[in-house]
Amino acid sequence: MATSFKVDLRRGTVVTGKWKHGRYRVERLLGEGANGKVYLVQRDRSWFALKVGSDAVDLQSEINVLQSMAKQKQQGHDSFLYDVDDLYGPDGREYPFYIMRYILGTTLADYLKRQGPEWFPLVGLNLLGKLSKLHQEGWVFGDLKVENVLVADYGHVELVDYGGVTAAGKSIRQFTEIYDRGYWNEGSRQADPRYDLFSFAVLCIQLHEPKRLHQLTKELLPQNRSADDLIRIAEANLALRPVAGWLRKAFAGQFADALEGADAWRQLMHRRDTHRTPGMPGWLKGLAAGTAVLLATSAFWLLRNMM
Amino acid sequence: MKQILLITDGCSNVGLSPVVAAAHASSEGIAVNVVGVLDHGDVGELGATEIDEIARAGGGLSRLVNMRQLSQTVQMMTRKTVVQTIQLAVQKELKQVLGNGAIEALPPDKRGEVVRVIDELGETSGLQVALLIDASASMKPKLAAVEEAIRDLMLSLQARQGKSEIAVFHFPGTKHGDDCVMDLNWTTHLNGVQAIFPKLQMGGTTPTGPAIMHVIDFYRRGDYGRQSRDETDGMMSGYVV
Repeated sequence: MATSFKVDLRRGTVVTGKWKHGRYRVERLLGEGANGKVYLVQRDRSWFALKVGSDAVDLQSEINVLQSMAKQKQQGHDSFLYDVDDLYGPDGREYPFYIMRYILGTTLADYLKRQGPEWFPLVGLNLLGKLSKLHQEGWVFGDLKVENVLVADYGHVELVDYGGVTAAGKSIRQFTEIYDRGYWNEGSRQADPRYDLFSFAVLCIQLHEPKRLHQLTKELLPQNRSADDLIRIAEANLALRPVAGWLRKAFAGQFADALEGADAWRQLMHRRDTHRTPGMPGWLKGLAAGTAVLLATSAFWLLRNMM
Repeated sequence: MKQILLITDGCSNVGLSPVVAAAHASSEGIAVNVVGVLDHGDVGELGATEIDEIARAGGGLSRLVNMRQLSQTVQMMTRKTVVQTIQLAVQKELKQVLGNGAIEALPPDKRGEVVRVIDELGETSGLQVALLIDASASMKPKLAAVEEAIRDLMLSLQARQGKSEIAVFHFPGTKHGDDCVMDLNWTTHLNGVQAIFPKLQMGGTTPTGPAIMHVIDFYRRGDYGRQSRDETDGMMSGYVV
């Protein structure tokens, strides 16, 4: 199975394609998906991402999706599939790989931590924009999760790991439990744009309340899982409260696709409370309450002494 | 496409060797997958070896997992085995055309076409999965998770374009040394099924091999139990095979 994956490319290794003889120098490991590992590589002074898989059929299946997507792309879209070939691993075995555009960016959670939570509404909107492009072409991203979203400067968003991308109407090829609407008893695993919007809504919660979400999955019995519990978390969170209504709609499948979802999201962004900076931190609240008690006590003393 | 998915936590200890039984299944065109469930400890070296060998003889996959990974593993294995079954058939065809059946030997462009066919067939062809659950005493605390995994599998299968059916069996049977009991006849949904395993009396023996043989027999007599299926809407709780 895909998890017992052994090919390990060292820094400085030069990989040569078996069929087309493209040469790539390995720089470092970028990440790991269900179907393989992704490395940063260099060819003719340009950077690319190389994904190497252990199973030829699994990886080819992913490549097929990327190729059909590339065929549909109109002008103005960047193509992201540059080369498809096999390489010889350090163990002498052949491994399939493909070369795609290298995307510079940090993970979504890191970006918000570093740049501040005020970027969240915009990043969310940009992510919905990316999804709506896929939806318009008849695809569903499938495995939408925090790890599969990279953010570059000024909130530019890129989706990575297309292993879950599924043609609408077929069964989702790859998913992650907590982002899956089937897991929450809120619908099927058949690919439709609403599936991505459900995952997007979970992603919003995962970004702001990862601990409580994790806790929820541990506490609830499988048959009792429902989006209501997710909404309750959102409503209790200051940053999420303004979008709680939007999330409720996404969980209920009330947006036909990401375009419709993005329109509604955009309207929220122009409301003042969406951009309200998070209120006092907890310790400050405690301090304020303490001060108030002190004040009251001294006033009481003062009054009593005056009488 | 036919599969048996065995979920167990230890070694068989009565009757025919499960490896022999799995080889029988394979020769009948039924792939056997095995999931070994661990609780904190492990299934022991003997158990691990047996699990691995059953899957090998049955032309399927084997995994050792803890309870939290059970649903995901069951879902993934079933999917993977579907692809593998089709891949084997396609490779047979390829061998006749090319002399070499390996998909890896094709150049990437040709490979793409072949994989497209595999994916399409995997999504659209009919699929039957018979789940065979070890209900010996040590499995008792794990049955809730097993039931969840079954429901989760049904959900994934329902998303396929082809017809997908599951049936559920457990072993050992309650009395009189029955090897295997059917909990659920072929069904395409679990709507309205309250509990797949109503109060089971856990037996002491683990007749894995004989239980596999029973399920093969169930497959072979394709119409077995089907007459009464209309009356019970696909559910025949506690029906003894």
